[in-house]
Amino acid sequence: MASWIPIGGLIVVLVILVIKAWPAIIVNGVGFLKNSDWLPGNTYGAVVHTHGVAHPSGSNYGAWPLIAGTLETSIIAVVIALPLAVGAAFALTERMPAWLARPLGFLVEILAGLPSVVIGLWGVLEVGPFLAHHVYPLVADHVPNVGPLRYLKGPVGYGEGLLTSGLILGLMIVPIIASTTRDLFLQVPALPKEGAEALGLTEAEVARRVTIPWVRSGIIGATVLGLGRALGETMAVAMISGSVLGKVSPTIYGTMTTIAATIVSQLDSAATDGTGFAIATLAEAGLILAVIALGVNLVARTIVSRSGRLAAPVGRG
Amino acid sequence: MDEPIRAQTTSEAIDPVLARLDPDRDRPTDVMATDALSLSFASTTVLRDVTMRARQGTITALIGPTGSGKSTFLRTLNRMNDKVPGFTHSGDVTLYGESIWGPRQDLLTIRRRVGMLFQRPNPFPMSIRDNVVAGVRAHGIARGEQLDVVAEMRLREVGLWDAVKDRLKESPYRLSGGQQQLLCLARALAVGPEVLLLDEPTSALDPLSTDAVERLLRTMTPALTLIVVTHNLGQARRLSDSTMFFFDGRLVEHEATETLFANPREADTGRYVNGLMG
Repeated sequence: MASWIPIGGLIVVLVILVIKAWPAIIVNGVGFLKNSDWLPGNTYGAVVHTHGVAHPSGSNYGAWPLIAGTLETSIIAVVIALPLAVGAAFALTERMPAWLARPLGFLVEILAGLPSVVIGLWGVLEVGPFLAHHVYPLVADHVPNVGPLRYLKGPVGYGEGLLTSGLILGLMIVPIIASTTRDLFLQVPALPKEGAEALGLTEAEVARRVTIPWVRSGIIGATVLGLGRALGETMAVAMISGSVLGKVSPTIYGTMTTIAATIVSQLDSAATDGTGFAIATLAEAGLILAVIALGVNLVARTIVSRSGRLAAPVGRG
Repeated sequence: MDEPIRAQTTSEAIDPVLARLDPDRDRPTDVMATDALSLSFASTTVLRDVTMRARQGTITALIGPTGSGKSTFLRTLNRMNDKVPGFTHSGDVTLYGESIWGPRQDLLTIRRRVGMLFQRPNPFPMSIRDNVVAGVRAHGIARGEQLDVVAEMRLREVGLWDAVKDRLKESPYRLSGGQQQLLCLARALAVGPEVLLLDEPTSALDPLSTDAVERLLRTMTPALTLIVVTHNLGQARRLSDSTMFFFDGRLVEHEATETLFANPREADTGRYVNGLMG
């Protein structure tokens, strides 16, 4: 019975979002998913009606840059965070003596609780400018101009933008993935690991063939948890992304924005729209974010149930 | 080869000739030996002054009450204790006359040459076939399609082939305990060890599976040299050529199995093998 409470809550939230977004859904149509404009229209001018919905004249909304920005920053974040987190968890559980692993593990968990506004401030004042001056130029100059690597070419900007946001998001989700993965590693029984060592496998092979596969589905779950955080992270990205509406960044360094950052940065001005249409549009963007997050979770569940085919039964070994 | 070799029909005349041609003639007959081996964890000495030899192709049983140091002794023989914090040793363990801790020895190679089977089955989280070839792959002994050949050969060797040939790509955890242990044995044999250490290999198995494993182990000598820790005295008697009795961190007695069980030299040995002690 109790397991229905979160599902019920989820349905209530989604229904309210749909109701609030309904006028925007009708007017913006399918084009909302692929258009790039973000024009609130003349909020002091004439009110026009489309399909019976009132909105300011000249308003025209498209969420594609927000959707792309959300996905791009989150993918960068996970690509950066996953190896770091698994490596950190491995070091904490397998390589370090307990007197060092315990305080360091505690530190990792504290990092997970650092307020994102603080991290955002650090990112925009310190990390971004540093990367833009010392790291990005090197990358942009030396990367060969072929295939997908072309994406790393181009002007590096001032440190606010897609790559910086992705990197900071990555750092923010490392503790989430690492602390879960560390707990998972601690649950791997000693016997199969010893068996692999006794067979003459190196420490790295034991990790790759036994320890990590043993808890693979758990690591996928932890990664989705981190991905969910990255998709929905608002404050830090709002500060670091450059908050540029209306276009998808052509390079990995360019300024951009995400759904969550846009909702928070546009909420104030949207409230000045007397027809309520701007608010409805933000609700529609929020609905898209919720659907993306749910979709990611469903995909992860499918992967977990597939990879569970060879996985070890918990509590045996 | 200074004497001329004449055609002779009696075996007395041929055997010395064959013996001289045997490439292994200079090899020590002791595959594994220890010399005054003492083992400690931090300041606690768990085993003192053990000197033993395991001859080529024999089965040595290690018996003794819990805590007598026999498992620690076994795990030292392929250096499994090396990374345990505080572990130190004095004396030496030799494999074909060379110290296993020698400067020319490679830990991973020692473990390939001295395999191990554990108390409980410990398949890896990968398919049945991948389990068998996990070590083969890691040591680069075979690759590609050869791996399938190795897997089939080793699974046949342990008598598991017919039971698993249709589910080689499936999880090993759905096999019975006995089948899992046979799979682990196939995995250990696949890398071609010279010595196999067995730590109570049948203690988690039912009598039928135990019987299957024991019969299999007997067929592995003389190619392999086996050292078996067991709490099952019947198993020690059935299986081994010689038996070592450990008690209270000492090797009390090491004799031919029949002698040790029938005419124990020490009083403690007699009490243990007659079931009068733990």
